[in-house]
Amino acid sequence: MQPTIEQQIRNFIIETFLFGESSNGLKDTDSLLETGVIDSTGFLELIAFIEETYRIKVKDDELVPENLDSIANVSDFIRRKQAEV
Amino acid sequence: METPNKIEFSKDILKINPETETERTCQFIREMAHKGFKRKGAVVGLSGGIDSAVAIELTVKALGKENVLSLFLPEKESNPISLEYGQKQAAKLGIETVLVDITENLQSFGVYQKRNAVIKSIIREFNDASKFYISLPQNLLEKDRINYHSITIQDKNGNKETKRLSGAEWLEISACQNIKQRSRMIQLYYYAEKNNYIVVGTTNKSELMQGFFLKFGDGGVDIEPISHLYKTQVYQLANYLGVIQEIIDRPPSPDTYSLPVSDKELYFCLDYELLDLLLYAYGNNVPYHIIETVLGLDQKQIDRVFKDFKGKEQATWHLRRLPPTINPV
Repeated sequence: MQPTIEQQIRNFIIETFLFGESSNGLKDTDSLLETGVIDSTGFLELIAFIEETYRIKVKDDELVPENLDSIANVSDFIRRKQAEV
Repeated sequence: METPNKIEFSKDILKINPETETERTCQFIREMAHKGFKRKGAVVGLSGGIDSAVAIELTVKALGKENVLSLFLPEKESNPISLEYGQKQAAKLGIETVLVDITENLQSFGVYQKRNAVIKSIIREFNDASKFYISLPQNLLEKDRINYHSITIQDKNGNKETKRLSGAEWLEISACQNIKQRSRMIQLYYYAEKNNYIVVGTTNKSELMQGFFLKFGDGGVDIEPISHLYKTQVYQLANYLGVIQEIIDRPPSPDTYSLPVSDKELYFCLDYELLDLLLYAYGNNVPYHIIETVLGLDQKQIDRVFKDFKGKEQATWHLRRLPPTINPV
């Protein structure tokens, strides 16, 4: 079964920012900034991953917490962007 | 304004007594140099900015001008007025100066070449005649946002173009740029050690709290005599000590890119007058309703700023500590 967008984003976060350690404690709705999982440079890596993986362009004014600051927000954002294409 | 919990907060909360502050800081410098480090003098890198000007004024007061050496450390992309103002400030104090142009050092590290290759890959039109700076979005009060860096280049005709940097691009450009401050640290320590002097730092409290300095760059010093002073307090001392007017009037800038950029544009996203009051409020847990009343901001705006503060504070924790170790000595 294909991983969901949520699972793909979670896997990317585990590999890139948690260095393979389990993200059991991280809920899909947890703030990535406030939990300290990702800092501002980390968000740029996340954006690069999103743009390459889902072939969407993230505009400057879309760099807002409601689009990017949780696994759930990122997944919803990607789906909205894919629907625009 | 007093609160039931006796937390005082007003727009005047950061006013200092410059005479008392000068005496206290000079005593600190003297004790550190003579008793702490057992050195008779100090080296200060004069950047042409307010922090190093105040630091050197205090150091001369503390140790005597015959025991203070000022270093000018420009490179080919430095703003020429930095050297001009630094030299004028040193002349006012009558201290010995040394000028070391670090351009060759930086060239030998490949700073310009490596960095420019990255920029060319982002903006094809960038060439050796182009100038650039990097900045953060300047809408911190107005909008919830995630910080990102943008590069602005200007061609020889004055035309500008701005593009967002990816994480990898930002990391590589800043890694190259950081060699500038680290090269300066090397020169400061060369002259300090050869003269048996200490290296006096110039980081202020606003920078310290938010990590706006470089590990082993401008953070690589022996003492930090003004790191208890917010930027606006540094200005109060500057006026009291008689720092040259050109430096007092000059907008604060890191002077690290070939195009001028302010501290606000590069890092803080707020003017210092507001930044310092909010940093004070943040650091002293001033209740939101007090901040709102005193500063005329709403809760959302304060939230945005405090989230920004927290993010920068967390990302730069290691700048304010010794390197972690398993068994501290």
